[in-house]
Amino acid sequence: MKTEKENNHTGSCRIYVGTSGYSYTEWIDAGFYPPGTRSGDMLRFYARRFPTTELNYTWYQMPRAGTVKRQLSLVPSDFMFAVKLTRTLTHEIDPQRWQIEASAYRNGIVPLLQARQLAAVLIQLPPYFNRTPSNRKYLASLLNKLHGLPLAVEFRHLSWANDRVFDELKQRQVTLVSVDEPDLPGLFPALDMLTNTDLFYVRFHGRNAKGWRSGNLQHQFDYNYTEDELSEWIESKIMPMAGEADRGLIFFNNHVSGQAAQNAATLIDLLKRQGLEVAGHA
Amino acid sequence: MRERSIIHLNVADFAVAVERIVDSRLRERPVIIAPDSAPRATVYDMSEEAYQSGVRKGMVLRHALRYCRDASVLPPRLDRYERAMESLLKCTLPYSPLIELADHNGHVFIDVTGTGRLFGSAPDIAWRIRKATKKNIGLDPVWSVAPNKLVAKVATRIVKPSGEYIVKTGEEQSFLKPLPTTLIPGLTQEDINRLREFNMLRAGHVAALSMDQLDVIFGKRSLFLYEAVRGIDPSPVTPVGQKQPMVKHRLSFKGDTNDGEEVQNALYGIVEQAVADLRKQHLAARRVGIILDYTDGFRSSRQASISPPAADNFRLFTAAKTAFDHAWKRRVRVRHFCLIYDRLIRPPAQLLLFAAERNQESKQQQLCAALDTIRVRFGPKAIRTGRTFPMTAA
Repeated sequence: MKTEKENNHTGSCRIYVGTSGYSYTEWIDAGFYPPGTRSGDMLRFYARRFPTTELNYTWYQMPRAGTVKRQLSLVPSDFMFAVKLTRTLTHEIDPQRWQIEASAYRNGIVPLLQARQLAAVLIQLPPYFNRTPSNRKYLASLLNKLHGLPLAVEFRHLSWANDRVFDELKQRQVTLVSVDEPDLPGLFPALDMLTNTDLFYVRFHGRNAKGWRSGNLQHQFDYNYTEDELSEWIESKIMPMAGEADRGLIFFNNHVSGQAAQNAATLIDLLKRQGLEVAGHA
Repeated sequence: MRERSIIHLNVADFAVAVERIVDSRLRERPVIIAPDSAPRATVYDMSEEAYQSGVRKGMVLRHALRYCRDASVLPPRLDRYERAMESLLKCTLPYSPLIELADHNGHVFIDVTGTGRLFGSAPDIAWRIRKATKKNIGLDPVWSVAPNKLVAKVATRIVKPSGEYIVKTGEEQSFLKPLPTTLIPGLTQEDINRLREFNMLRAGHVAALSMDQLDVIFGKRSLFLYEAVRGIDPSPVTPVGQKQPMVKHRLSFKGDTNDGEEVQNALYGIVEQAVADLRKQHLAARRVGIILDYTDGFRSSRQASISPPAADNFRLFTAAKTAFDHAWKRRVRVRHFCLIYDRLIRPPAQLLLFAAERNQESKQQQLCAALDTIRVRFGPKAIRTGRTFPMTAA
């Protein structure tokens, strides 16, 4: 049965395409940034090409309002941010401190909320975070604590691919992140399950099966999508989700050698050819 | 110039952290590290709990224990800290050959510039090293990533005792701007006091002054200040295992002493040895440093520059004495001191301008060369200056 919100869906979905992170010095060699670009200036250049980015430094470091404000000053007012949740709330959870960390996180992203440029908070859970009673309980508490923010959850363990999980996310209006990754046992499958009509969220990690479990990000995310692979995704998953959601976020995480930026630009062209509404001028 | 990525690891309260690995019972209680046998022992390091109670480094142990009565007091074990530093180094070795360790205090700089294609982003490397350090040796360092050592060090200072900080290239000055000048490495207490007189308490206040304005107040120090408050620091990370070239000699007094003449004569003796080493390597020194340990565990260090660079006993002793006099300011007996000549270069070929000075220098050089020849041939004690003979009562 459709919810009231689903029935109210206007039918026009604006899709934002970008990359997971933007501050890669190797993208200078790849030709994405002009030679000599300093890392502090990269966001300004990036925002000329794409309408959104996923901030992944916030996984390593708690976001700080001052830094976020500086980043906001480098982009146009319609540029949108997806912000990864800090590792102390997903991978290195201290039962005594996580609530304090969650409050600190909220405070850190306040400038984005005030500027209305926060598209999503990405809760990326580790591969070992499986569906146990204690993990379910923690995730429910975390979602409660972050209530009010545009949340998107990326599961990386197969045990969460379950209708009861999807129903719970629908009820909470939390987005389930659709992922493209290698076809390896135990990984969360590529789904077009829409749990929140406000937003669908796709992450392209690349399909490098050999490097996936190497423990080295440079091998894990070294992959270049073909047009056929992207077109197949558009037809089978993106178009159905765009038909029901108000906004879509699509990020490429295959950052090695600037492939993410190339693939994102290709996807924008392909989406436009399909007549979908794509944000930005890339 | 290529943009640099420097990781700084900083283990908060390093000595205490190491002791807590050895004895887990110490984890739940305040700890003070101090040489407890000395009558006026001072605090070498303390745990966060002791710090919160009011204990500070350099505080007399008796006073410290008034602030924190239930603290466990342990003597400093430098060999243990050195081993911990070696373990810390092992966790960083896979990522870069440019690793600089500070002496026994839990600070490590790693230059990961240009390693992105091999190991990923600098924050990811820092996080991995921290994870390995925690797993392998039980130490949990604070980390930062910044374009240079100075900014990286400030970044870990502001997040201590736990956390991380990333400063990107181009953000150095805005990062430092609101911070107190006391957090900027390299500023001496004299600098800070002088800045306070002008009500300049934050780095941003100092950065508002031009080089000329700073020059009026600080003279020779103005260039350093100008660059430091703007986060400019081109100093390289020294490759692992490669120490800065220096000549270093230590001396311990059998019984602690506060006899000025005895100390000065001992200093002269050790300067002679150090200078002989310098001349053997055909090098001249541009700086002398003294690290002085008092009987109560308090440590003081001072430096003096040597201009023009020298390799003769007379000038190097004068410079060493200046540094020593600045270091030995307390009326407390001295236990041990270390003499360091560094910033070594090949002796300058430029002759002195005036004949009288030239003759004097030539005589001194001949004398030094004669002393060296005798000592090489007949042993180091074959010829000595009078002041280095032990004094006997009349």
